[in-house]
Amino acid sequence: MTRFVRQAQYLSFLVPILAVYSLFTIYPLLKAFFLSLTNFDGYSKVYDFVGMKNYVRIFSDDALLSALSFTLFFTVAKALLVTVFAIPLAIIFDQKFLTRNLHRAIFFFPSIPSGLLLAYIWGFILAPVDSGVMNKILRELFGIGPQPWLADPLLAKISTVVVASWAVTGWHAILYLAFLQAIPKEYYEAAAIDGASRLQQFRHITLPLLAPAMTISVMLLLTGGLKVYEIPFALTKGGPGFETYSITQVIVLRGITETQYGLASAMSIVFFFIVLVVAVFQVTIMQRREQNLQ
Amino acid sequence: MAARSFDAPAGIVVFFPFYLIIINTFKTMQETARNPVALPSKWIFTNYIQVFEETTVLRSFGNTLTITFFSVVLIVLIGAMGAYPVVFNPNRLTRVAMIYLLAGFMIPFQATLIPLFQLMSDLHFIDKHYGLIILYTSNSVFVFFLMMGYMKTIPRDLSEAAVIDGCSVWGIFWRIILPLLKPITITSVIFETMWIWNDFLAPMLFLNSSSKSTLVLEIYKAKGEFAVQWPMFMTLTVITLIPIFIFFLLMQKHIVKGIAAGAVKG
Repeated sequence: MTRFVRQAQYLSFLVPILAVYSLFTIYPLLKAFFLSLTNFDGYSKVYDFVGMKNYVRIFSDDALLSALSFTLFFTVAKALLVTVFAIPLAIIFDQKFLTRNLHRAIFFFPSIPSGLLLAYIWGFILAPVDSGVMNKILRELFGIGPQPWLADPLLAKISTVVVASWAVTGWHAILYLAFLQAIPKEYYEAAAIDGASRLQQFRHITLPLLAPAMTISVMLLLTGGLKVYEIPFALTKGGPGFETYSITQVIVLRGITETQYGLASAMSIVFFFIVLVVAVFQVTIMQRREQNLQ
Repeated sequence: MAARSFDAPAGIVVFFPFYLIIINTFKTMQETARNPVALPSKWIFTNYIQVFEETTVLRSFGNTLTITFFSVVLIVLIGAMGAYPVVFNPNRLTRVAMIYLLAGFMIPFQATLIPLFQLMSDLHFIDKHYGLIILYTSNSVFVFFLMMGYMKTIPRDLSEAAVIDGCSVWGIFWRIILPLLKPITITSVIFETMWIWNDFLAPMLFLNSSSKSTLVLEIYKAKGEFAVQWPMFMTLTVITLIPIFIFFLLMQKHIVKGIAAGAVKG
């Protein structure tokens, strides 16, 4: 009897987390799946099952197709850009120099405030008109005319990726730095005695030992990239046209603004599966890595 | 050395946007339009006075503080409570619960957004701070896994000895386990604070009236109102950055430690 009471007491500790998680995560996900099979418009109580119709409609929805392609481009481009800059940055942070802590702080700080706020600051720099700071600098230093940084489809996409990468490169450099500091200095000393150049040391010692960090960093960038919302929204409002719409922005537009609950739910379910594929991929790679280490 | 010659200019480029918004808060609109990059020809402070008079930035700060504080306390508590039976009294039921919660990592907020919107209005949680706080508590799944990892490092003898001494299940948690969780609690509090303080999507969807606004929401609305009055908008931005900057200065070491610990553990 007392054993039973003890067990019940232990289990009672799980009640709050199971309750909020079931109510705010699992139930809405199941409901989204259910709604995606209906033509529910958010208001009328009467609605019909329409089968896979919403899923078919997704693929003729220009906004969603555009958002899908931009979100994937953004995710991959940002992951590449951040990785290419974060690794050398981590190596620099690992060396001793006078302003090291100041530099770490400068690169790290942009990952702390909200992306919305950062994107608005960049909006001032990249303003398309003559008065935009970037255009002013280009004209005065190089005599180049004003560029439509946020109005041209390709330039807008690139600007969004650059701003988002600027914000998180320092964060990922710190992640790499943690792994870098775990590499024994003897490896480099031994390699130097054997006559390996600095470049060879980087290629054959640093890079392989940073591989686990790269797995984590890239996976964080991929899952985070797919969920992007604030930065393109604040920088370009998704424009020009639907060129820089994120998947999240389309779900909000179709679902909340236009109350096309069925269609928007189908989009969220597709989005869920995209994230799921990446997440499963992530778990598989992580496990394989751990097995290799054992 | 090559590293150093790259470093200084790169640092300047990365810092440039912050330099830019800070100096322009001390200029008139005309001067900002004419020369945004240089230091102000005459330093003025009227933008700051005007922002405090014309916007509700202080109220939004209070709102954000309230929402973040209560959400984070609840999240950390609920997460730690959930991890306790899973680690210290494992059985088939707790294992099932753990796997069920693990699925949470795969479900993005965005995928649940439409039904969540309906649910929040059915519960009359729209435009209520407590509604948003309760919604945020579902973030405790992340903390649950952090706590679980940390609790496994606490020796089992400790709780077993307490059982022999007649300590109740509740007593063990509050008096023995919880005080030992300090390091992981700091990490959890920092990451959850950053996420909730900065969140835009949920406040945008679930808080309507401007008296309930968070700081990020206030910035979003100000962008529409101030339009091209850049010095005013940037002053508001700088003011909202001040608490974030203080948080950063105080917590930088802990944040770095958290990233490193999370990373090394995988």
